[in-house]
Amino acid sequence: MWRYIRARVLGAIPILLGMSLIVFLFLYLIPGDTARLVAGPSADRATVESIRTEMGLDAPWYTQYLRFFSRAIRGDLGTSFQSRKPVVQEIGVVLKRTLQLTVVVQLLSFFIGGTLGILSALWRKSVLDKVVMAFSVLGLSLPQFWSALLFQMFFCARLGLLPPSGYQMGWDIYIVLPALTLTWPSAGLMARITRVAVVDVVGQDYVRTARAKGINPLKIAVKHIARNALIPMVTLVGTDISRMIGGMIMIEVIFTWPGMGKYVYDALIAKDFPAFQASTLVIAALIIGINILVDITYGLIDPRISYE
Amino acid sequence: MTDVKKFIKSEPTTSVALLVLLVYVLIAIFAPYIATHDPMAVKTSRQVNGEKQYAPFPPSSEHWFGTDQLGRDIFSRVVYGVRVSIIVGIIARGLSMLLGVTLGLISGYYGGVVDNVIMRITDVFFSFPAILLAMMVTMVLGSGLWTVCLAIMLVGWPDVARLVRSQVLSVRNKEYVTAIKALGGSTSRIMVKHILRNCLGIIVVAFSMGIPGAVMYEAGLSFFGLGLRPPIPSLGSIIADGRGYIIFAPWYSLFPGLALAIFVLCCNVVGDTLVDVLDPSYRNKGR
Repeated sequence: MWRYIRARVLGAIPILLGMSLIVFLFLYLIPGDTARLVAGPSADRATVESIRTEMGLDAPWYTQYLRFFSRAIRGDLGTSFQSRKPVVQEIGVVLKRTLQLTVVVQLLSFFIGGTLGILSALWRKSVLDKVVMAFSVLGLSLPQFWSALLFQMFFCARLGLLPPSGYQMGWDIYIVLPALTLTWPSAGLMARITRVAVVDVVGQDYVRTARAKGINPLKIAVKHIARNALIPMVTLVGTDISRMIGGMIMIEVIFTWPGMGKYVYDALIAKDFPAFQASTLVIAALIIGINILVDITYGLIDPRISYE
Repeated sequence: MTDVKKFIKSEPTTSVALLVLLVYVLIAIFAPYIATHDPMAVKTSRQVNGEKQYAPFPPSSEHWFGTDQLGRDIFSRVVYGVRVSIIVGIIARGLSMLLGVTLGLISGYYGGVVDNVIMRITDVFFSFPAILLAMMVTMVLGSGLWTVCLAIMLVGWPDVARLVRSQVLSVRNKEYVTAIKALGGSTSRIMVKHILRNCLGIIVVAFSMGIPGAVMYEAGLSFFGLGLRPPIPSLGSIIADGRGYIIFAPWYSLFPGLALAIFVLCCNVVGDTLVDVLDPSYRNKGR
């Protein structure tokens, strides 16, 4: 087990290296003079040149990249152009807010989607099944930036119940709309996956055997059906988080939720290269980390899977 | 004829979805004849019963979907937006397929170091939110139709490459390939005529199933002002422009979004059926 984890973590390093190199090259290619950007439009030529030398922007790109990487492994991700604060500090703050949203959305979609999926699997081809599946495909088809607007129109402009956007420290009513927008497709996907998984398990021989032995149906549902259907459901939480991060960027921008997604978007638009480079690295590390975690949980849920 | 009837009877939802998609394609082809107004024509105020009104105008018999703040007809803009969406969807997905199929074929056929390098590159792409990558590309190259297609191509190819690679792996060691090798068939001939031809099914499915995703990416990029340049009406940018008017002119963002949502919804419904039909093992599980 530990050997497996170590191999996976070591395997992540070249991926992160490659990713940060791609991002670096793209940023290098974005038109505009970085030193001028940092100095501001009113700075004179001498100041711009001194900033260029100070930041090492006069070095060739590969030297710049190596400098960035050698600093990054030591935990120094540079200083934001905009706020002039260490990027690591800022990311620490925004990451918490994104995690808050992610945990809420994943818990909601796991339980709502899971329950609906089990129900529609048990009453296949019933009205409930059809409604759940329609709801699911709708959630997956609506563009999220548009459904976000619809929710704003309905709950804020029409009913005046919720604030259209914003953020407050801790837990506040502001989380409702972004969470709702993100939960719909995630719960829809969860319902579909669960439904297929449960239908698959119910038809297995061991469930029939358990029934024939006269085991209490509740015990069958928990010990035989739920445990086996859990594998695809857990996998989905992992893949869904990586899928969701893309949508998260849009949703955080629309609802001005000051999390990781808004941070990385603002950094790109403002050409705040250190902030962007660092936050993409953190996001990629998170995605890879989640995938490793998912693979480990397989082994815990399903004893047939072994990593030795 | 009886086959068509049988299909409609067994798959009514899919039939409706197919019909709607056909309408979309027709709208895209005949956009200039369907649009009721010039999508760029500006008219900021109008006289109604001697009273001066300022745009945005609400939906009416003249402007079916209302107008935007410049008085441009939203119905006509949506019609042209649909055209742009479908064009971008097909070109961008086509480009992803081209790159993905080529790399997947090479990766699966040659194996070894080449395979390893290509697969590690797909790993890199998978570790990164696609929309961010697309945004970076448009930041570097500037916005515009071809940039957007290029951005979506870069986002879409890794999935295709992996899919094709796995298919190639399952075909590569079949007896008929060995036989052709023994007969002295050239590598390119084997790859194109025998292996690629056996991947054609999944290539067609991957192409058509990827179009709604490509359309969504275009709309998303345009929504953030990183997609098509402003005078070209794009569904994403119309929705974004309407964001400031959700209280006074809800129709502004509503209709372009609806047009986009219905298109993607129908694509997904048809795609689900396609998977069911082409993968019968899945059918018994799912329904």
